Amino acid sequence: MEIIINGTTASLIGRLDTPASPDALKELAPLFEQADKEIVLDCKQLSYISSSGLRIFLMLRKEAAAKGGKVIVRSINEDIRKVFMMTGFLNLFELQD
Amino acid sequence: MTLKEILSNSVTRKSAGTGLLLIIVAALTLEATSVIQFFFTQRGLRQEAIQRAESELDATKNEILDVINQAEAAVRNNMWITRWCLDIPDSLHRVTELLVKNNPVVIGSTVALMPGYSKKHPLYAPYTFRAGHELLRKSLATEEYDYPNQEWFKMALDQSDGFWSEPYIDKGGGDILMTTFSMPILDKHGELAAVLTADISLNWLTEVVGDIKVYPKAFSMVLSRAGRIVVCPEESLVMKKTAAEMARTLEDTTTALAISRAMLAGKDGNMQIKENGIVNQVFFSPVEKTGWALSIIIPESDIYGKSRRIGFLVGFLQLLGILMLILIIRSSGKNQLEYQKLSRQREKMEGELRIASNIQMSMIPKSFPPFPDREDIDLAAKLEPAKEVGGDLYDYFIRDDELFFCIGDVSGKGVPASLVMATTRSLFHSVASREHSPAKIVASINSNLCEMNENTMFVTFFCGVFDLKTGRMVYCNAGHNAPMVLREDIQMLEVEANLPMGVLEDFTFKEQEIYLQYDDAIFLYTDGLTEAENIQHELFGEERAQEVLHRRRGSYEHLKALLKAVGEFVGEAPQSDDLTMLFLHYLGHQDPGKDKHLILHNDIQQIPQLAEFVETIAREKSLEQSLAMSLNLALEEAVTNVILYAYPEGSDGLVEIEAILKEKRLDFIISDSGVAFDPTQKPDTDITLGVQERRIGGLGILMVKTIMDKVEYRRENGKNILSMTKHI
Repeated sequence: MEIIINGTTASLIGRLDTPASPDALKELAPLFEQADKEIVLDCKQLSYISSSGLRIFLMLRKEAAAKGGKVIVRSINEDIRKVFMMTGFLNLFELQD
Repeated sequence: MTLKEILSNSVTRKSAGTGLLLIIVAALTLEATSVIQFFFTQRGLRQEAIQRAESELDATKNEILDVINQAEAAVRNNMWITRWCLDIPDSLHRVTELLVKNNPVVIGSTVALMPGYSKKHPLYAPYTFRAGHELLRKSLATEEYDYPNQEWFKMALDQSDGFWSEPYIDKGGGDILMTTFSMPILDKHGELAAVLTADISLNWLTEVVGDIKVYPKAFSMVLSRAGRIVVCPEESLVMKKTAAEMARTLEDTTTALAISRAMLAGKDGNMQIKENGIVNQVFFSPVEKTGWALSIIIPESDIYGKSRRIGFLVGFLQLLGILMLILIIRSSGKNQLEYQKLSRQREKMEGELRIASNIQMSMIPKSFPPFPDREDIDLAAKLEPAKEVGGDLYDYFIRDDELFFCIGDVSGKGVPASLVMATTRSLFHSVASREHSPAKIVASINSNLCEMNENTMFVTFFCGVFDLKTGRMVYCNAGHNAPMVLREDIQMLEVEANLPMGVLEDFTFKEQEIYLQYDDAIFLYTDGLTEAENIQHELFGEERAQEVLHRRRGSYEHLKALLKAVGEFVGEAPQSDDLTMLFLHYLGHQDPGKDKHLILHNDIQQIPQLAEFVETIAREKSLEQSLAMSLNLALEEAVTNVILYAYPEGSDGLVEIEAILKEKRLDFIISDSGVAFDPTQKPDTDITLGVQERRIGGLGILMVKTIMDKVEYRRENGKNILSMTKHI
């Protein structure tokens, strides 16, 4: 799992599974601080996400809702879109291609 | 009578003579010891009584003198002001008032003038006394009281240091036991002018003295200067009788009188007096200033009671011991006669038992191959008994496609060991025919052995249950040598440090498991193999055994080769122990695609292994990438749940994942031995809620349920078992 942060955009690369999640949460801390702005999670190279990864997405989304910002999830692949669907995350996030 | 019998009889007689001497010596030694011990104990107890009585007398005396001194000080402190007031007699009542008021121990006070000292008042004695919390006044100068003739007045006149009156009961003030301190007062011209007094109540004296309880039945008495009984537990005597009068009512009047005389003479001392058959120790001591004598009376039964009871007990035990000694010596004499008879019987019995043990041995399965119609197992076993009957055993049988097998070694040798061995084998056979878990089989045999195990013999034992279909072998090792696992190389099987059987009845045996693949083998043996000794006392050892096992052979050939190697190594040395071996070669489970296993520790870092596991399955079944990811996701969620919550934090636990791959469906079984928890019972997360209302957790099980076609939980044999099915 690799995360590249560029301003308010974070690119997630690889597998966001249970063992990878604690580090991912730490690395995404700068985005939590900027949750009043528009945050982009670029998932173009995200190949896998488990519930612990989804939890981080949801925490960020809640932070943004509280601070008046928004979270855009960009370029998710079909498999992850299915995961978003089964967990109702499609309704919570703004998706961009 | 044969010569042999005559000889053995003389032996008996001789031993009886020695026995008598032994008894006499033992008895004398015991008696001497207890007499000396008794003497010293008595002396110690007497010393202790004297010390306790004396220290109690001192302490009580000090308590009494404390009050006495307070009263004397009250009077002395007011002498000068009394003298000063003599010229104005009307002011004298004020002196007495202040004296009583300022001195709590004083309950009354008067200044009584010498008759005719004042012209105005020929007799004058103003008196102040306590009545409850108030101070009242009256005059003692009445005709009927006639103070100049009272003891406290008359006796004080020529006592420049003051005078303590005999205790008396004050009729006016409510029958209070009192005593009075009086002091003569001289006027400015040095003439005797008055007597100043302080009355104190003696009610406290009864309490202080009554509190003396050095021994349960001890009591105390106080005599006044005139020999009157002031304090005594028998209240009818108090202030009514003198010591002399009381002495006359006692059995030993002479001694009683002598004691009272000594006390009244102001002597310290200790005397004894017998009353009602009990000797009493009387300790006495004078109380200065007052002329009183204080005494403590202790019955000797209190002092020596315990030591006498112990003395009787010791004597009784000694008598018992000597009697037993006599009995033992007599019976040992008889035993010698019976010994030869018994040893003949024993030889006969041993022979019979040997036959019995041989019969038991013959029940151990020996035919080869044991399961001719099974192709999935190649098993061979061998028991080479040592010359002396020993206690090795093995057994095996198949029930419902499961191989139950065991190997064991009974501690010790000879007939007892072989009997325990036979019992163990038949217990294994009967328990394993109904029980499935090796730990339970071992526990059951263990508790049976412990019940009848009077000779404290124990059995090292290895018991396995081998599922021939799946290659899963569950085993329990009760203190036996770890078996060898033969794969590409030879390793020792990991075994728990359980106790051998027959040691502790309620010991909890732990079982373990291992999965055997096609061509894997297990080699079990007793220490008769590794500890086979040559003439130089070298041991055959594990390494030599492994050298033999490294070559590829059938199981029976392996055992033959091992026996040959041991034989060559040992050479001429006699075989000292049974040698038992069991070789199990697994030839089932040939289709590795059918089902798969993965065992993980409860460590989240092991999750990537799960991804690989799913990857392998996906490749084998040519699953689509997206389905593989979904399966991976569902398994990760289910396994993470176990890893995080099943076991207490910091403890090591396992998660086992079994995948059964069929034509149109995949079954996954996740099991763990953690706390009972049914994840399917958690209410589903509502996925229609908005951002604010959505809970952070609960997504995992939701995904498992969504991805899988069927999710079922059950608790079985202390395990959580989650079965999931996916149709493909």
